[in-house]
Amino acid sequence: MLRIKFYGIGGQGAVTAAKILSQAVSIYQDEYAITVPAYGHERRGAPVYAHIIIDNKPVALNCYVYEPDVVVVFDETIISKGICVGEGCHEDTVLVLNTADAGAAARYRAEFNFKSIYWSDGTGVAMKNIGIAVPNSAMLGALAKTGIVSIEAVEKAIFNSFGKAGEQNARAAREAYGQTGRA
Amino acid sequence: MPVKMLDGNGAAVEAVRLVRPGVIAAYPITPQSSIAEHLADEVAGGRIKAEYIRVESEHSAMSVCLGAQLTGVRAVTATSSVGLALMHEVCGMTSGCRLPMVMHVVNRSLAAPWSLWCDHSDTMAERDSGWLQFYAGTVQDVLDLYLAGIRISEHPDVLTPSMICQDGFFLSHSMQKVDVPEDSAAFGFVGQYRRQNMYLDPEDPIFVNDLTPTDDYGEMRYQQMVGFRNAAAVAEEVFAEFQRRFGRRLETVRPYMLEDAEVAVVTMGSMSGTARYVVDQLRAQGIRAGALQIVMYRPFPAGAVARVLGQIPVIGVVDRSAGLGAVCPPTCTEVAAALRGKANEIRSFIGGLAGRDISNHSFERIFADLLAIRAGKRDTHCQWFDLRANPMDIRVLSGEEDAECIK
Repeated sequence: MLRIKFYGIGGQGAVTAAKILSQAVSIYQDEYAITVPAYGHERRGAPVYAHIIIDNKPVALNCYVYEPDVVVVFDETIISKGICVGEGCHEDTVLVLNTADAGAAARYRAEFNFKSIYWSDGTGVAMKNIGIAVPNSAMLGALAKTGIVSIEAVEKAIFNSFGKAGEQNARAAREAYGQTGRA
Repeated sequence: MPVKMLDGNGAAVEAVRLVRPGVIAAYPITPQSSIAEHLADEVAGGRIKAEYIRVESEHSAMSVCLGAQLTGVRAVTATSSVGLALMHEVCGMTSGCRLPMVMHVVNRSLAAPWSLWCDHSDTMAERDSGWLQFYAGTVQDVLDLYLAGIRISEHPDVLTPSMICQDGFFLSHSMQKVDVPEDSAAFGFVGQYRRQNMYLDPEDPIFVNDLTPTDDYGEMRYQQMVGFRNAAAVAEEVFAEFQRRFGRRLETVRPYMLEDAEVAVVTMGSMSGTARYVVDQLRAQGIRAGALQIVMYRPFPAGAVARVLGQIPVIGVVDRSAGLGAVCPPTCTEVAAALRGKANEIRSFIGGLAGRDISNHSFERIFADLLAIRAGKRDTHCQWFDLRANPMDIRVLSGEEDAECIK
C-alpha cells in the first residue's frame, strides 16, 4: 500500500490531479486507488490538500494520509504559509517538488530530510504548453518519474479527464517527466 | 462490467440513470450539489428521459416527487443536512402514503454550528420518519444499495421509501473504482415501476390525505410497521438476487473477524473500511479484534447483530452523531437493545463530527480502550474520542497542543 499526500494552493488543480492519478492507476494499471480530498473553505490562494491511497487490492482504509510515502508539493512557497510538508514523513518518504530552482530542492532536502527529492518546473512547463499557471498535469508527469505510476498511464488519464485540453495537458506531463531532476 | 472511476455523487447519478426515473426535482446543497447538477446534465443530454422540475427548496423537491410518484413513475430527489431537515414534514407524507421512493442522502452535519462536512446527524434525525435507511461504506455501495433499495422499497409487502446514505466528502467526493452494470442488466433487475397503492390520475383528480380519524390512524401506522418488518426478509431476498446477477455480496450487516473476537467495534459508513484495516493490523499482533459494519439501520437488523456480536466480551459502538441527552447515541442505543439480556460490555464512542477524520489512529485508540476494559478497567459508558484536551475552552491560547484523547 502506498500513501500519497498532495499539498497545493487553491487554483493549482491539486484535487483534480489526485482524481487523475487515481484514474491512472485504477483504470490503466489495473490497481486500486482512492482519493480522500480534504475540502475546506476553498478559495484561490489558500492551502489545499488531497490524499491518495494506492494498493494492488481494493483499498479498505478511507481516511486522510498521516504517514505519507510520497509527498507532492505544487507550490514551493507553501512552507512559508505555516504548512509543514514534512509532517508524518518517515525515513523512506519521497518528495516531488514544483520548482524551477535546484537550490529550493536542496533547501527542502536539508529542512525535511526526505529520502530523495524529484523536482521539476511544473508551472513553467504548464505556461509553455497550456498557457496558464496550473501545474497539475505537469506535476503528475514529475510524479511518474518516481516509478509509482507510468507516464503512459498518466497521459491516458489526462486525455480522458481534460477533453479538448487533453493533448496540451498530456504534453505538459510528458515534458515535465523528461526534465525532472533528482536530488 | 465496465469499471469506472467515480466519486459517490457520480455513482449516485449513474444509479439514478439506470432505474429510468420519470421525474427529477432536486435542490442543490453542499455536498450533494454535483448530484443535482449532473442529473440536470443527464436530462439535458437525453441520457435520462425524465422531466426535471426546478424547485425553490427541498420541501418543494420532496413535494414534487411525492405528487409525481403518486401518478405512477419513479421520482427522484437527493439532499443533505439542513435540506433533509427542511424536507422532514414531506418525508413523513411520502412514507405515510406508502410511496416507495428511493433518495440519495449525502450525510452532512446539522446546524448550528454551521458546517459543510460529514456526520450522521441529518439522517439520524429522520430515523423515525418511516423511511428505510441504508448506509454505504464505499462508492460501490452507493450504486449497489440504490438499485437494491428500489427493489426492497417497491416490493408489495414493503411499500416504504428508502434513504441511501453516503458520507459527505469521504464518499461523495472520494474517487473509487466502481463496477457499473450494463443498462439492460440494471433495468432488468429493478424492472418497470408499477403503482401499487393509491394513485393520482391527472385526468380524474382526487384529494389524497384528507383528515384521518383516530379510528384509522393507529392501524395505518401498524401497517407501516408491518412493511418495516417485511423489509428485513425482503432485503435478504433482494441482496441474494443481486449477488446472483451482479456477483457482489450485499448484507444488512458486514461482520469482519468476529468469530473469535474478544473486542469489536461497530461502525457505519465510510469509517468501516478503516476499522477493518486496523483489525487486520491488530490481528497481525495476535490481538483478537473484530468489526461489524451496520449497512441497514432501518429496519434495524437486531437479530443479525445479536447473532454475530452475542459472544463478544467487549464491544465499542462508534456513532457519528452526538445523540444529545440520550443514554447513548443512536447506533449504540440500537446495538444495546439488540443485545439486551446478554453479558457483553458495551461502550459508546462519539466522534467524527462535522468531518473530523476518523482515522486508523482513531480506531487504534478506541481498540486500546476496549482492550483496557477487557483487562478490567471500568469507565463511563459514553465517551467522546479525538477531542481537544480541553473541549470546554476551545478558544484558549496556550502552548499546549491539542492532544488527541478519549474523554
